[in-house]
Amino acid sequence: MKIRKASGILSGAFLALMAHTAMADPIELTDQAGRAVRLEAPAERVASIPMPMASTLIAIDGGVEKQVGMNPVAKQAVLDGILGKIYPEAKDIPSDITAPNFIPNVEELAATNPDLVIQWADRGDDLVDPITNAGLTAMLISYGTEEKAREYMTLSAEAMGRDDRIGPLIEWREQVASDIAGKAADIADADKPKVLYLLRAKETLTASGAKNNYNTWYIELTGGTSASADLEANGVTINPEQIAEWNPDVILLNNFESDIAPERIYSDPILSLTNAAQNHKVYRMPLGGYRWDPPNTESPLTWMWLADLLHPEVFDYDLRAEMKQVYKTIYDYDLSEEDIDNILWVDLNEGAAGYDQFKAKS
Amino acid sequence: MNMTEAGARLHGGTGALRGGMFAAMVAALLAALIFSIGAGRFSVTPGRIAEIILQWLANPSAPLESIDQRIVLLVRMPRVLIAAVSGAALAVGGAALQGVFRNPLVSPQVLGISQGAAFGGALAILLGYAGVTLLGFAFFFGLSALVIVGLLARINGRTEIVTVILSGMVVGALFAALVSIVQFVADPNTSLPAIVYWLMGSFSTATWARFWLGLPGLAIGLVAIWLFRYRLNLLSLEDTEARSLGVNPDRERWYVFVATALMTATSVAVAGIIGWIGLVVPHAARILVGEDHRVLIPASAILGAAYLTFIDTLARTLTSAEIPLGVLTALIGAPVFGILLRRHFSRVNQP
Repeated sequence: MKIRKASGILSGAFLALMAHTAMADPIELTDQAGRAVRLEAPAERVASIPMPMASTLIAIDGGVEKQVGMNPVAKQAVLDGILGKIYPEAKDIPSDITAPNFIPNVEELAATNPDLVIQWADRGDDLVDPITNAGLTAMLISYGTEEKAREYMTLSAEAMGRDDRIGPLIEWREQVASDIAGKAADIADADKPKVLYLLRAKETLTASGAKNNYNTWYIELTGGTSASADLEANGVTINPEQIAEWNPDVILLNNFESDIAPERIYSDPILSLTNAAQNHKVYRMPLGGYRWDPPNTESPLTWMWLADLLHPEVFDYDLRAEMKQVYKTIYDYDLSEEDIDNILWVDLNEGAAGYDQFKAKS
Repeated sequence: MNMTEAGARLHGGTGALRGGMFAAMVAALLAALIFSIGAGRFSVTPGRIAEIILQWLANPSAPLESIDQRIVLLVRMPRVLIAAVSGAALAVGGAALQGVFRNPLVSPQVLGISQGAAFGGALAILLGYAGVTLLGFAFFFGLSALVIVGLLARINGRTEIVTVILSGMVVGALFAALVSIVQFVADPNTSLPAIVYWLMGSFSTATWARFWLGLPGLAIGLVAIWLFRYRLNLLSLEDTEARSLGVNPDRERWYVFVATALMTATSVAVAGIIGWIGLVVPHAARILVGEDHRVLIPASAILGAAYLTFIDTLARTLTSAEIPLGVLTALIGAPVFGILLRRHFSRVNQP
């Protein structure tokens, strides 16, 4: 009895000691540029210069408290979108730590006293040296594929000591991706619609969807083929004639242009004759905590959305229910029906083929 | 030998030869136009194209049902025509300025007009405007650049060529800096790529609406310089000589500047910055028809039209992606110009 009590106390003390050492343990990471990053303790003050990082960090940490600086364009996006509604205090986060072009403003950056500065890898030392020369700790991330996205999300979570939250997020991505891949496996090549993602459509037409590109990746995941797979790079300007030649079955419109609508395609003399327009399969992609088109913390919702649209006979995700659950988990926020309508552009995509399935069931 | 002598000599003995030269240039232009309407990413057979155009000529108001009809008539036709008119305007603008400044290295960019228009367009894209508004912005700032140059260059009631060139440099540099500021504050995910692409020049947004929007500015400028072709010969003389011939070089130079500004700003507005046409094409024209502006101006117009039409066809057909025009014109124009320069100076410096 005595022994058991003693060992109980001991193990209690041991656990406390363990926890204490865990707290004090420095964090050592290898960032996506292959650099060693060392933090004495989980970062409590994080400044992020790449735009998608703002919403990513909010999602991983479940709040904005640890963000001491972000890209002005990212901040505008946060304030304009649903995140600004969920976290109104985001408006007080400084955004003069960098110009939109990612060149850090070191004095402003240093003034925010960050434990960690997140910056782009692969875009040259000029973006990084000013940070490290000022004695700040930089972690570099690189963008573009699902794999890289999972990696930088995990790295950010480790740096902030939020392993508890990133595990489920990554698991969710994995589980949704494999669920979709499993169901899509039986779709015959002949039944795979040709999908064109227009990164820009207002004035010049810009397509994305080259091989190994993120848009191509989820188009293929959900049982489609990328109409623009023969492009050499991403975000390439093309002409309407080229789109006519591809004749896509589905056209996805971006969220980078604030007032783009399917009407743009339906009223174009050439684009209105594509299969996509003729069959009313032109959709503006949803805009949640971040744009759903590039990789982001809500990406599995993008995949479900697209899967439901491309192959309603195969997929049957209850997107609205999924969204409610996800927003509750990530942001601890209860989406209203109106929130969901706004995120999914239900009004803008009114009349598009198959979009009824996303309407609120009254 | 000065330019009038050269012009007189050419005008005298070689009329038949020059007639043949013009016929050949017009043939080249027609070939470029026909080739351009036939070429494209969407394949339409030549027979079908002829059929489409004939149907359209017979009944222009018939609805266009099929996609090949629309591509030929609504995409390629306006694009080819707008490229041709812009090419003519840029080349004529260059030829006229080279005459007025008595300097073969001058182009519309010297007056700061292109940079002004570029700033206007970039600003419009930054603010999220497109179409007519973008055109208006580019045009307004292009003309503003010229007005500022005019105010700066006018000293004690007179405008000397050297002050115009220096003022043009100053104003051009100012607007180039403003363009940089716009790029600096632009969102790298959204407006910046659009601005960069637009600055490199492209006819990818050509439509009939845009053609009709751009045509007046380009046509007025072209006609004005055409009407001025005799005066250009006089303006290319020394000022004192010109005055003695009853010309007010000061005032008349400004007519040329305004006409050129109109054309340049309009072309930048409809297609972004397309460099090198105004520099290279007049030189080619000079080699073919000589230095007399009465023939140099129309020759530059025809060659400029044919050249830009052809280059634009390459830009839109070589790859599925659109190659920016300014890149192609510079890639071809810069080496050609280098060769011309060497030839020019080896002849000038002959012992």
